[in-house]
Amino acid sequence: MTAPRVEISDIQDGFAKEGYICNAHIATAIFLARNLEKPILVEGPPGVGKTELAKATSEFLNLELIRLQCYEGLDEAKALYEWKYGKQLLYTQVLKEKLGDLMEGAQGLAASMDRLHEFDDTFFSEEFLEPRALLKSLWSEKGSVLLIDEIDKSDDEFEAFLLELLSEYQITVPELGTIKAKSSPIVFLTSNNTREIGDALKRRCIHLYIPFPDADLETRIITARVPEVEEGLRKQLVSFVQNLRELELKKVPAVSETIDWARTLVLLHAKELDSDMVRNTLNVLLKFQDDIDNIDSDINALTTKARAAAE
Amino acid sequence: MSQVLSNFVRALRAQDVRVSISESVDAGRVAELVGFEDRQVLKDALSQVLAKTDDEKFAFNECFDQFFAFDQFKPPKPASNENEAASEQSQEDEGQAGEEGEEQDGEGGESEGSGQPSDSGSAPGSGGSGSDDREGAAEGGEASPDRDLTALLESGDDVELQAQLAAAGREVGADRIRLFTQRGLFTRRIMEAMGLEGLNETISQEQRSGTSAGEARADNLRELREAFRLEVRDYVERQLELYTANAGRQLREEVLSKINISNVDRRDFKLMQALVRKMAKRLLALNSRRKKRSRRGQLDVRRTIRQNIEYDGLMFDIAWKQTKVDRPKVVAICDVSGSVAQYATFLLMFLYSLTEVLPKVRAFAFSNQLGEVTDLFADKKIEEAIAEALSVHGGGSTDYGRAFEDFEAIALDDIDHRTTVLVLGDARSNFGDPRADILDKIHDRARRVLWLNPEGKTLWNTGDSEMKRLSPHCDRAVVCSSLNDLERIVSDILRTAV
Repeated sequence: MTAPRVEISDIQDGFAKEGYICNAHIATAIFLARNLEKPILVEGPPGVGKTELAKATSEFLNLELIRLQCYEGLDEAKALYEWKYGKQLLYTQVLKEKLGDLMEGAQGLAASMDRLHEFDDTFFSEEFLEPRALLKSLWSEKGSVLLIDEIDKSDDEFEAFLLELLSEYQITVPELGTIKAKSSPIVFLTSNNTREIGDALKRRCIHLYIPFPDADLETRIITARVPEVEEGLRKQLVSFVQNLRELELKKVPAVSETIDWARTLVLLHAKELDSDMVRNTLNVLLKFQDDIDNIDSDINALTTKARAAAE
Repeated sequence: MSQVLSNFVRALRAQDVRVSISESVDAGRVAELVGFEDRQVLKDALSQVLAKTDDEKFAFNECFDQFFAFDQFKPPKPASNENEAASEQSQEDEGQAGEEGEEQDGEGGESEGSGQPSDSGSAPGSGGSGSDDREGAAEGGEASPDRDLTALLESGDDVELQAQLAAAGREVGADRIRLFTQRGLFTRRIMEAMGLEGLNETISQEQRSGTSAGEARADNLRELREAFRLEVRDYVERQLELYTANAGRQLREEVLSKINISNVDRRDFKLMQALVRKMAKRLLALNSRRKKRSRRGQLDVRRTIRQNIEYDGLMFDIAWKQTKVDRPKVVAICDVSGSVAQYATFLLMFLYSLTEVLPKVRAFAFSNQLGEVTDLFADKKIEEAIAEALSVHGGGSTDYGRAFEDFEAIALDDIDHRTTVLVLGDARSNFGDPRADILDKIHDRARRVLWLNPEGKTLWNTGDSEMKRLSPHCDRAVVCSSLNDLERIVSDILRTAV
């Protein structure tokens, strides 16, 4: 067995190749998830790359990514499986006409029932099963990355329903029995903390908290994601955003917004930040008019500070 | 799972981190997987399986740094690499350096994480030099258990020393230390377990030998012993801190939540505030889900049709009408005259810590005149708002009649069947008419009216207390004198909200 540190930095490098820059803490979580075969619960403010992490993992390990977006009212019919009712109905229609042929020669009610019984089994077989995200990932031959996005938006019934899947990698379908994973998927659950996740779920997961990145990491992320930005501008914009996060805002800009902003600035052929440019493009960073109005007076100071920091 | 790890889990639990059995089993598997060589990796990995909220992560970081505050995780000091012929001076330096380093551990926390993998490589090397020394000392011909400590100290092998110290600590059960006064006892016990007796004997032997070399060695050993004693005491103190740091606070919190609020000392206010916040957070976690109540028997036709389109219009998956459980509207009317002001402070603090589940709280404060203080709380921090509310409305002599009249004028129209009205006060109206008829009007309109009285039941209706005239117009009148009472009442409001 190679030393864990080596393996962890391998993961980090592998992610970097996919354009996902992360620190050792995040890589450690992936390392643990693979070795302990446990799901990862990723928490953190919106836009720090929780979902991206799952995508990067699927690319890095070359596994299929199966995504399940949670929302209020999501139930197992939409998450796990569903019977192909239309197909079943169609087949019944077809069978109806053939019923006479089938029943030919059957003596008495009991014999006819026996024949019919043979059919109802076929109706509830895998032929008629429509697999949804969870079942798909259990059936996947070479394993998969299963992303259960924004688990906090689902109802607690669904959370409870997930427990069996998360601890045993198996699921029970009443008509078919228990389905075990062919090979254990790597499961990511993400949460924005709109509500507290249940203890039972937390207990079964590795818990990873991704905070906003520091200036250094964010610069590297921008380098990887928007390579067109020149170095001077890159430092300036990162330092601007970092300072912005210190202020009292309704919604602080996330990494994804920094990336968008960098792209915007490239599009405008900016060489360095100036306050007019910032003022015109601020709506990429801040998503509340209140926030934009509030910091309007600070823009000059912030810009100068960012330029000074970049030198 | 190893002893070290289970001790660590115990230390974590002492710091309010909830660790379940299955999580500590996970921790064992993690430790097996990543090993103890690399501090940072171990820390990252353990934090991910043991600490699962923000607060817990913070506590974890502190606890980890404190618990694993061993010297072997630090870069090797030059002294330990020198050979055994090293002068007394350098050895003494080393002892002191060890001491200083130790102290930094206790306070510093994070800084240690930087001492990374390179030092793990150096550990075996210095360990080797330690065993050499032991052979050298063995020629001196002391008895076997004593020789260890003497040789160990002289070799200056800190890694081995720390390891043995930890082992001796486990042997005498240093993790069971409970009281500050037990420090001396445990220090002594650990030193004895490591062979203090032999060391003392060696010192006196050398002293008696009369040769200058012998005396020098005795002096040196004495100094080393002193340094070592400090180190052991440090270790014991760290254990005390680890396992009992929070015990005192927990006890205090328990007491504070039970005693009468008016008896709380001013200096405990900070703690009380933290406590209220903690209780509020617990209530939040319990009530943050929006409850739905299905009304069985009422068919939701539209949803049923929509839901069954995919079954070719066959209606076999039937949807029932549901009602969302409404968040309660709360109106708090607080007496803020001298005697009751404290209680009002904490009630308001509670209500406003729960804005996520109680979005509509209106607060009114009065002593003789009543005024709305809701806006104060919207604009300012809770503490400031409370202080201002008290200074504006507090102070006068209480007049419930007047206060209810004012309330009728300001807010009676806004009270509807979803509103819960809380009245906090001792009902001592200075012999004025309490205007129970207005309270009755409020009761007619509101979902319910709760009277919270900080006085014990036996004092109700004595003197100028008007409880007997007011309480018939309340759904419930309860005693509310401690934080625990408050928590119970607030949680009751949350739970029975419809």
